[in-house]
Amino acid sequence: MAIIVKLDDVLHDRRMTLSQLAERVDITLANLSILKTGKARAMRFSTLDAICTALDCQPGDILSFAPDEEGRD
Amino acid sequence: MTRTYSAALPIAFVVLRILIVVNWLAGAAILTLLVAMPHEQWILKSFGLSPSPDADRLILGLRAIAVVGLVTIPLNHAILKRLLAMVETVRRGDPFVAANAYRLRTIAWVLLAMQFLSLVVAAIAKMITSPAHPVTMDAGFSVNGWLAVLMSFILARVFAEGTLMREDLEGTI
Repeated sequence: MAIIVKLDDVLHDRRMTLSQLAERVDITLANLSILKTGKARAMRFSTLDAICTALDCQPGDILSFAPDEEGRD
Repeated sequence: MTRTYSAALPIAFVVLRILIVVNWLAGAAILTLLVAMPHEQWILKSFGLSPSPDADRLILGLRAIAVVGLVTIPLNHAILKRLLAMVETVRRGDPFVAANAYRLRTIAWVLLAMQFLSLVVAAIAKMITSPAHPVTMDAGFSVNGWLAVLMSFILARVFAEGTLMREDLEGTI
């Protein structure tokens, strides 16, 4: 997957744990963990909105694009 | 989300199990007819025939139809077994799985094969029938049968697409 989730970095910058974020955005810790480890297949705008609001950041702070070497996902 | 209770599922489960047994019993009956019973005299008597080339042709045709009938037993079983497995997945609350899409596609192919077998039976019946001794078979071209084949192939495709959508949805956070 060429999309990289940088949630861990943002959480670290904000001195926040995944559990605390889960409480604030009302998303289960299990789902946030899937997102953090890059195992999610898709992300809802509502989730992105909630996370950006809770972490006071931009979507680009959480997600980045890094093309694969083979040029496929 | 609340689930509406439907009696269709338990009924289908029981009916399918019964049909599986009935299918094998029918197979055993056909096999018995083919191997043990068919005393030519017995068949001739039941048709009110006397030994003749026409009577031989009739007996041969009936045996051929019985063989086709025997072939349909495992085909029926393949359909019933898969339907039962599909009902099981609904009971478990997760019917939109790739396995069900494959099952439906297999059912569609088997239904297609059975439609061709039905045409074969109709052709044999046409060959052995005579004005004096008409042989009528509930076989041949059936619009409903071919529609069922078409519908099964379409449903299998719908299921496959639905399964992919479901997988996407499950991976959506």
